[in-house]
Amino acid sequence: MRKSIPCLIGIALASVLFSCGSSTSEQSFDSSQLTRVSQTEVDQVIEAFIMAEDSSTIEIPAGFYEMNSQLILDNKTGVKIKGAGMDQTVISFRNLKSGGEGIKIVGNAISIEDLTIEDAPGDGIKAQHSDGITFRRINVTWTNGDKSKNGTYAIYPVQCKNVVIDECIASHSKDAGIYVGQSENIVVKNSLAFGNVAGIEIENCDNAEVFGNTARDNAGGILVFNLPGLPKSDGKGTKIYDNDILDNNHENFATPLGEGPNGNTVTMIPPGSGVVLLAAKEVEVYGNRILRNKTAGISIASYQVTGFPAEAPNWSPYTTDIYVHENEYERNWYQFPDFSRELGKLILVYNAHGFAKTQDIIYDGIWDEKLSASIDSNPMRVCIQESEIENLRFTRFDLSKGEENITASKDATPFKNCEVKVNTDRSGLE
Amino acid sequence: MENIKRKNQQWVLAISFCILLLVLFISCQKTEDATIKIQSALPEDSLKEESASGNYPYRRLSTYGFFQGDLNALDPTEGVIFYKPASSLFTDNAFKSRFVFIPEGNNAEIEAEELNLPLGTILIKNFYYPTDFRNPDGDRKIIETRLMIHEEKGWQAYPYVWNESQTEAVLRVVGGEFEVRYIDLQGENQIINYLVPNKNQCKSCHNKNEAMAPIGVQIKHLNNEVDYGHIQANQLKYWSDRRKLLGWDEAKAYPTLVNYEDQSQELNDRAMAYLDINCAHCHSAAGPASTSGLFLTYDQQDPMKLGINKTPVAAGSGAGSFTYDIVPGKPEESILIHRMNSTQVGVAMPEIGRTTVDKKGVELIKAWIAELE
Repeated sequence: MRKSIPCLIGIALASVLFSCGSSTSEQSFDSSQLTRVSQTEVDQVIEAFIMAEDSSTIEIPAGFYEMNSQLILDNKTGVKIKGAGMDQTVISFRNLKSGGEGIKIVGNAISIEDLTIEDAPGDGIKAQHSDGITFRRINVTWTNGDKSKNGTYAIYPVQCKNVVIDECIASHSKDAGIYVGQSENIVVKNSLAFGNVAGIEIENCDNAEVFGNTARDNAGGILVFNLPGLPKSDGKGTKIYDNDILDNNHENFATPLGEGPNGNTVTMIPPGSGVVLLAAKEVEVYGNRILRNKTAGISIASYQVTGFPAEAPNWSPYTTDIYVHENEYERNWYQFPDFSRELGKLILVYNAHGFAKTQDIIYDGIWDEKLSASIDSNPMRVCIQESEIENLRFTRFDLSKGEENITASKDATPFKNCEVKVNTDRSGLE
Repeated sequence: MENIKRKNQQWVLAISFCILLLVLFISCQKTEDATIKIQSALPEDSLKEESASGNYPYRRLSTYGFFQGDLNALDPTEGVIFYKPASSLFTDNAFKSRFVFIPEGNNAEIEAEELNLPLGTILIKNFYYPTDFRNPDGDRKIIETRLMIHEEKGWQAYPYVWNESQTEAVLRVVGGEFEVRYIDLQGENQIINYLVPNKNQCKSCHNKNEAMAPIGVQIKHLNNEVDYGHIQANQLKYWSDRRKLLGWDEAKAYPTLVNYEDQSQELNDRAMAYLDINCAHCHSAAGPASTSGLFLTYDQQDPMKLGINKTPVAAGSGAGSFTYDIVPGKPEESILIHRMNSTQVGVAMPEIGRTTVDKKGVELIKAWIAELE
């Protein structure tokens, strides 16, 4: 009975929150003014990708290219794909009738620069099995007013080595704007991700640095995940520093409004999430400006919170070896945590600072009980060294006694006086 | 005075209204422009004479000399062997006729259970639609012929598009979109926009560890009997008897897949054969969809890899409102069925090769999931 009162208030609140759930359709450039090129010129670009020789440059002149076929660069080395500028060369895949992505790249030492990719039905640009892949000054976006029609990932390197994403813009994707999956040696820098469900996501990757970026107005700003059952089974070693992680309060449109999460993990991200670590290993988060994210600045969670089966070979559901320090936090007094997702509800209702209070750092407090009888010994090595942590809103949940008996603590002591050494190496990644 | 003012205002209103109409009209025009024009004309110079120089690819299909008599009769010359995988990949109900050309004096070999084809081998796959599906051997329209040539640098794919008069097909690496009309088995008129893949899209499916690879020409798909007209025989034995294949033992020494359309076969065998030929070229450890961890080869035993209670990874809209790839006993809640049942790009699987739903395939996989426990 006692529990039902906050629940009722919560539901009332939720209806208010839904009505003012934020959404944006902002565009970085206006492509409608560009000259539409002829079918012949479109075919020339398709052919240039097919016929490209090693060490050549594919130049795509200014113009609006309406593609009806995918652009695929296959098994080439040293090819540079170059547009006339993000605002000048725009490749639209609005009319694509088949194919999982607009542009697909497989090869070594490939770069793609200075162009915009619009409205791909699946992913914007995907690179796979490539060693040396650079995305520089590319803008990938969707122009649909109805964002539920947008594609999955904007910039999508997967199973790659030596990935550089520099000065790119990714917006309005239904999953992650910049998504690096099952890869190693990664730099994501000086880029902007906005209006996506997830701004920047590093998933099942080794050795990644994410710095100098702005992730704003997404549902979740920067995510580090490890998902089960993948060929690259687990990942470790990510540094997230000097980023602006702002106002990530966009509605989660990964599923249609009113529909709950599906099996895609990103559908569970509560709007208002700055940084989310899920089953993440060896992650350092420091020197970021984590401002006005209405649910939680940093969320440290184990895979069990998803409720999905949490067993897979060579993979652990726990988030371990986390070092959070010297970040700047800011909360808006008039904002409340999300009520549309389970993790949001948990924070809204059960946080240690009072009903509906935005949190700076939350830890789900799930630990491997084989390692320690109590979480007080910090068995998962989660280290938080923020100055004046007393003035921050920190919550550690205790979910071990079941859903009916959730408790929370604001005591950060077990996690305060330690350090985790996270090793990354970005030499050669320019 | 007042009157004039009012009149002026009316004029302003009327003009504004016209401008508004014009704007609306223009914006409507824009969407109309956006619809793709069906390409049917082929470039003029592609039909220039050429000789069989041995330097592939040729511009014209006829230059290869695969067929005798009228090209569109697809009557193979000596040394061009008909073949047919037990199960067939669904491509918008297109009919296919397939041939393999193994150069004179060369032969395929079986090594470590793999069928290795020699350099110079050409796989020839013709895609056509009967005018009336109720009379499949009657009039037909051939849309494209895809060649896969085993060159020094590996397998290469070349799409050839047929002309209206069905006298020639010419190389078209950029692919295209073509309107096809036929009468279906129910006697109803059907129109589809058939998509010819661009050259590099071929590798979206024909991909084994990022090298181009044949799909149908594997032991498991060819270890079955076909009717050669003059004789009925196991295909690989037929090759072996003609010294086009070395190392062949006997049929039962090798894996074989059933024809998923053969209702007399076990449901599980039919379903696994369907998934293998339609999905496993991407969804295997060596295929481009290895990213997903969903591996659909006929011999898959690991429930998670088969998708049972497995969450998707990068499915986006493809997941619909569902949680798992396969929910045993619940085909309606399985992402697999959702994606097979869709024609929306980004949702539909396979990602290329179809613009319509394979209804029979959906029914088969539904029945199979319904029986899973």
